[in-house]
Amino acid sequence: MTEQTLENKAALSPNFASPTKFVKALILDTLIWAYICLASYKIVYTKLIIADRFASFSWSQPLTCLGLGFVLALVIFFTPLSVGKEMFLANKYDRDHKNPMKMPFAFVIYFTVFLTFISGIYVSQVSMREFFSEAGLLGAQRIFGALLAPNFAIIDQAVFAAVETIYMAFIATTIALPFAFTIGFFAARNLMSSSMWAFGVYNITRFFLNTTRSIEPLVWAIIFSVWVGIGPFAGMLALCLHSISSLAKLYSEQIENISEGPIEAMKATGASPIQVIWYGVVPQIVLPYLSFTIYRWDINVRMATIIGLVGGGGIGTMLMQYQGRAMWNEVGLLAIVIAAIVWVMDWSSSKIRAAIK
Amino acid sequence: MNEILTVDNLEKVYPNGTRALNDVSFKVNKGEFLVVIGLSGSGKSTLLRCINRLHDPTAGSIRFNGSEVTELKGSPLRSLRAKIGMIFQHFNLVPRKTVMTNVLTGTLSRTGTIASIFGIFSQEDKKRAKELIDLVGLTGKEQQRADNLSGGQQQRVAIARALMQNPEILLADEPVASLDPSTSHSVMNYLKKVQEELGVTVICNLHFLSLVREYGTRVIALKDGKLVFEGPPTDIDEQWFQTIYGEDAVEVTIN
Ligand SMILES: Nc1ncnc2c1ncn2[C@@H]1O[C@H](COP(=O)(O)OP(=O)(O)OP(=O)(O)O)[C@@H](O)[C@H]1O
Ligand SMILES: [Mg+2]
Repeated sequence: MTEQTLENKAALSPNFASPTKFVKALILDTLIWAYICLASYKIVYTKLIIADRFASFSWSQPLTCLGLGFVLALVIFFTPLSVGKEMFLANKYDRDHKNPMKMPFAFVIYFTVFLTFISGIYVSQVSMREFFSEAGLLGAQRIFGALLAPNFAIIDQAVFAAVETIYMAFIATTIALPFAFTIGFFAARNLMSSSMWAFGVYNITRFFLNTTRSIEPLVWAIIFSVWVGIGPFAGMLALCLHSISSLAKLYSEQIENISEGPIEAMKATGASPIQVIWYGVVPQIVLPYLSFTIYRWDINVRMATIIGLVGGGGIGTMLMQYQGRAMWNEVGLLAIVIAAIVWVMDWSSSKIRAAIK
Repeated sequence: MNEILTVDNLEKVYPNGTRALNDVSFKVNKGEFLVVIGLSGSGKSTLLRCINRLHDPTAGSIRFNGSEVTELKGSPLRSLRAKIGMIFQHFNLVPRKTVMTNVLTGTLSRTGTIASIFGIFSQEDKKRAKELIDLVGLTGKEQQRADNLSGGQQQRVAIARALMQNPEILLADEPVASLDPSTSHSVMNYLKKVQEELGVTVICNLHFLSLVREYGTRVIALKDGKLVFEGPPTDIDEQWFQTIYGEDAVEVTIN
């Protein structure tokens, strides 16, 4: 009984032992409340209540809200409504014994999500009136009519462009493969935490992967088209770079999840580090790797289509040209071809991946 | 006597502060079957992994055939490991590879890196692997995938792999803890055979005292990282049993 009450007491009072955690919790709370203030003011007050359609922006509002958020956070920190306290300072007892969905702090999160939803509707200018306006409906009718009557005269051109897209994706994937394979090892924490030096390499690799991956292939395609000229090569380079970083990330996560056993066993035989990787790590990862790679090719075909829209060649570029000339019947045919490719790639890649499981 | 291994004042503190071994000293004679016992968490696995340097000891000395091994690095460390075979509770075979390939990984230290990447092993090694697969009673399973075998069979593959190193010492970390009683005896008998017929020194962690009495020639016991008993298995009486395993422990047997 005494033990029970002791535990309960521990559960109620957060652990203030670590000042950094305390600061983190407060920062999180400040940001949440600043956001709530800002969103309520900008959307709910300005747009809904005084119906100001083109609200102007100035730095003073966000800064005021940040200050307000900080004050609110300070007050709220001592109530069960504090999200930060829950995230950084809650003890294990609470985590295991209570349903987090029903704790007071969860309602702050629900409210934030709700507020974001309302704001989202206003920001994206959702308008039922425009959706159902007469002119709008007429336009839609014209386009859908044309799309449904595709012009099959250009089918050979379209298929040729589609093949170009698929090859571009395939080459990008294949070229990315050895790079991603090698980099994957350097980005795996369990292999790279043996020394300070290795850990440094790990961090640099992670940084490189995260930055290249966070830039969309579309943006890379624009960068490369300035570099090597508009065309399939620029698109391929963009896909390649993005594939390297995405695959290397997936690969390294796979490496982090493998079992230590075979690695230990290989070390115990006196194998060299490369042999340890070849026999202790690689056999555990080949199948997931293969599966990721095929999936990546599938993704790359879709991305190659999109990249084509900015001049990366292939069927995307063709689509862009016909769309620019408002030739909707041709666009309709291209849409069918693209849908067919995506469907075939999707189906075959999932079949292949299921087969090698 | 002809000692193969001398451990002096060995200490291991893990980075998180756990003191897993505390001033452990003992000697191992050539050709004996030394059993290490102790409660879960007493430091048995840590001890074995310090011997082949999968873990680095914090302090103390380990001498193998008279030479200090605690400071070895790189290639000398790998040749030390090559002379010490190891088998594990969970077998730790290479998944998706055949029994033959698994046994051949025991030769990695003497096979060139490039050759081993392409799976090229010498003819003698292949012949030896075949003999060892026969020795552990797996004739005919050479080309089967090792991870599809039963637990007992996998452990025998692991024994063959370790023997492929031509080891002077075989470390066994709870080799039968995940096997059923009759399979346990079969695996233990192979280890006994390795010790008696091939003259390999065996150091084996075990949980069941009945197995200790049947297979061990000498026993050391760890408790909270300290060596608390050293002697023949027959010396472990009720009194010692309670010292090693605690007041409330009751002996369980495996038949
Ligand atoms: N990598 C590690 N990091 C930190 N502590 C560890 C590590 N490995 C083991 N320990 C701790 O060291 C102590 C000894 O562990 P060890 O695995 O050697 O015990 P054991 O006798 O083999 O136990 P078991 O019978 O459960 O296998 C334990 O307290 C364990 O929690
Ligand atoms: Mg253990």
